[in-house]
Amino acid sequence: MDYVENRMAQEAAKPTPSPEVQTIATPLNLVLLSLFLYILYRSFRPSPAPKLAPPPPAIVFRTFTPPDLLPFNGMNNQPVYLAVRGKVFDVSAGRNFYGPGGPYENFAGRDATRGLACGSFDEDMLTKDLQGPLDKLEGLGDEELEALRGWEERFEEKYLVVGRLVAVGDEDKEVEK
Amino acid sequence: MGFDNVMLTLDETVTDFFGQWDVYTTLIAGCLVTFFVYQVTSSRDPDAHPMLLARQAQASPVRQEGQSAVFRSHAAPHGMPLNSGLNVKDPGDSKWSRGRDGDLRDVWRRVVSGGIDREGKETGEKGRLLTVLGSEQIIDHDITDINRQIALIGQHIKGNGGENIAIYLPNSIEFLATLFACAFYDLTAILVPYDQDQPVESIISLLGQSKADTVVAAVGSFPFDVIKKSYPALKQLIWVVDEGSKHMDWNEVPTGTGGPVNVSTWQEIVQDAPATGLELPSVDRKAELKNILAFWPSGELVEYTHANIIAGIAGQLSSLPAAHRINHSDLFLPVDSLSTMYPLVLTLSALYSNAPVALNSVAGTSPDLVLATQGISPTIVVASPGTLTKVLSETAAKMSSPVYKIVHWFQTRSLIQQGVMPASTMFSRPFDSLRPIIGSTPGKLRLIYVSEQIGAKSTPLTAKNLSDLRIYTGARIIYSLASSKVAGAVTQTGVYDYRVDENSEQNAHFGAPVSSVEFFLKDTKDHKTTDESSRGEIYARGPAVVGGEASLGVNGRIAEDSTLVLL
Repeated sequence: MDYVENRMAQEAAKPTPSPEVQTIATPLNLVLLSLFLYILYRSFRPSPAPKLAPPPPAIVFRTFTPPDLLPFNGMNNQPVYLAVRGKVFDVSAGRNFYGPGGPYENFAGRDATRGLACGSFDEDMLTKDLQGPLDKLEGLGDEELEALRGWEERFEEKYLVVGRLVAVGDEDKEVEK
Repeated sequence: MGFDNVMLTLDETVTDFFGQWDVYTTLIAGCLVTFFVYQVTSSRDPDAHPMLLARQAQASPVRQEGQSAVFRSHAAPHGMPLNSGLNVKDPGDSKWSRGRDGDLRDVWRRVVSGGIDREGKETGEKGRLLTVLGSEQIIDHDITDINRQIALIGQHIKGNGGENIAIYLPNSIEFLATLFACAFYDLTAILVPYDQDQPVESIISLLGQSKADTVVAAVGSFPFDVIKKSYPALKQLIWVVDEGSKHMDWNEVPTGTGGPVNVSTWQEIVQDAPATGLELPSVDRKAELKNILAFWPSGELVEYTHANIIAGIAGQLSSLPAAHRINHSDLFLPVDSLSTMYPLVLTLSALYSNAPVALNSVAGTSPDLVLATQGISPTIVVASPGTLTKVLSETAAKMSSPVYKIVHWFQTRSLIQQGVMPASTMFSRPFDSLRPIIGSTPGKLRLIYVSEQIGAKSTPLTAKNLSDLRIYTGARIIYSLASSKVAGAVTQTGVYDYRVDENSEQNAHFGAPVSSVEFFLKDTKDHKTTDESSRGEIYARGPAVVGGEASLGVNGRIAEDSTLVLL
């Protein structure tokens, strides 16, 4: 309390400033004025419109031959592709199943048509000779073809078609509608 | 004690500093607080979220070699079919059925029956058809009477063996009635651009190209005697005497069935028949409808099917958000000629939405907007870029004072930064009298449709022009790209897109595609698509495109916000 009393007495003892003194440019006024101008500047400065990052570039639809398709099995950061009845699907979203280490990894980068029809993931469902013609699906009965159609529809709903698969030497053949 | 000294010095400094408070300090502090409070209380939310405007079209995830990705509107995403029709449900259809696409006859049936709500029940809102004759006289037509006129005209033309009907009329009730009559009675309609200064040879060549055998023409604009000699294929002619000239004695109008051409007037056909009890042919889903031929401003003759036009209408109806849809409380006025497909599609959309539609024969190629809107207060207008450029230059010349420039700067800022239409404040009200007087009641106009027609001679508008027009007219502006091969628009800017980007002096972007059209860009010699940018010749595809897929004949690129910009 002593301190407060002393300070009050000290302030009261100060002489009152004479009215003719110019008071506009006091430090307090300058500080407040600059604060005001800064707020004006911030609110009237044009702000750029927000931009979204550009979407990922579209994948170019290409014609694959079996040797071309082989590298796309999920290794080396490549996406996972597999082919069903001539259509190449991008199944990278299902990497857990079709990628390396997954239960269906045999299908990655290969023509999976016969395997899906018969419901088997064995090695002998895949065409051995990559340079030869595509699997013509001989020896498959009606139930197997029915199962294949079901699989094809599921793939079309879930995954993106990124290309078509033709045999080596048939790249220039026109697409049959 | 050292600490006490520091505290003492601090205390003294702070007290000295704030001890200088005086009148001026109060003033400045008062201004600061007022400004801050005003900013906070007067801030408005933007009309559309900026992120929605940052990406307006959806690109397909896969693209073919030599082409860009296919772009669609968010209303018709990839994997869903494009919007192709009006979902017309006939009485007797279940409420949950899909509805059929419909054709022009269903548009007229909707006008007659009134609005239908989601449950399928009639709301009782009926549109009106108005003809504006100058600023004094507005004629409100009776829909049942127009219905009767359509039936009579259709039966008359068909009865006399007409098959290809050329319509050479300004914007009027008779234009729409003849168009609907052709739809109901299986006739081919040919929309011939109406221009009173056209030389006779060009009219004859237009008739010859379209192989018209019947003409419905306005008296005074069609030199019948000359054409009768040079165009022998003409079999029937129906004169339309416009309302303003009815009091004059048109005895010199040649009529009669003598000679190879059967000439009559609209009034004769319509008045000489029983007043009631005349119905249009009922719903017939299996009829093969004839097409509609129209001339593009570049002179090209294009044949549109009803499916194309209905898909165009469906695209327009779905392009407006629910708050701004055309509805019963609007008044639609086409200021551009109805023989061009884009204003026609918009007029049919307005009719289908049960909005009152006003028709003014002043409308045509680039009329004066103030003149065309005299006497009524339209809320939605379709105009050509020439008309709007005229409005812009006239208004800019009037409003050139430095005080107005400051007000204009603030209003532009409200549009671009805050994303809202500028509000009328006490600073802008003194200048309201200088704004263009559109309609008899100011402030009613809410939407202006403009289209850049590919191939026609027109002045492209820049983003800055569009922004200035929004401020001068107080209405939102939709800028679309129209082509001869597409009914309606190919792409259209969104209602809430007020942005002006850095290159505001170049031509404005055209927005995202409508929901009935998708487009892609094919590589040309000079413009190719890469992973970073899409450029090339614009190809459109969809139910609204003539022939399913067509090249528009111009090059374009896709901007950062997935909108189309012409190169």
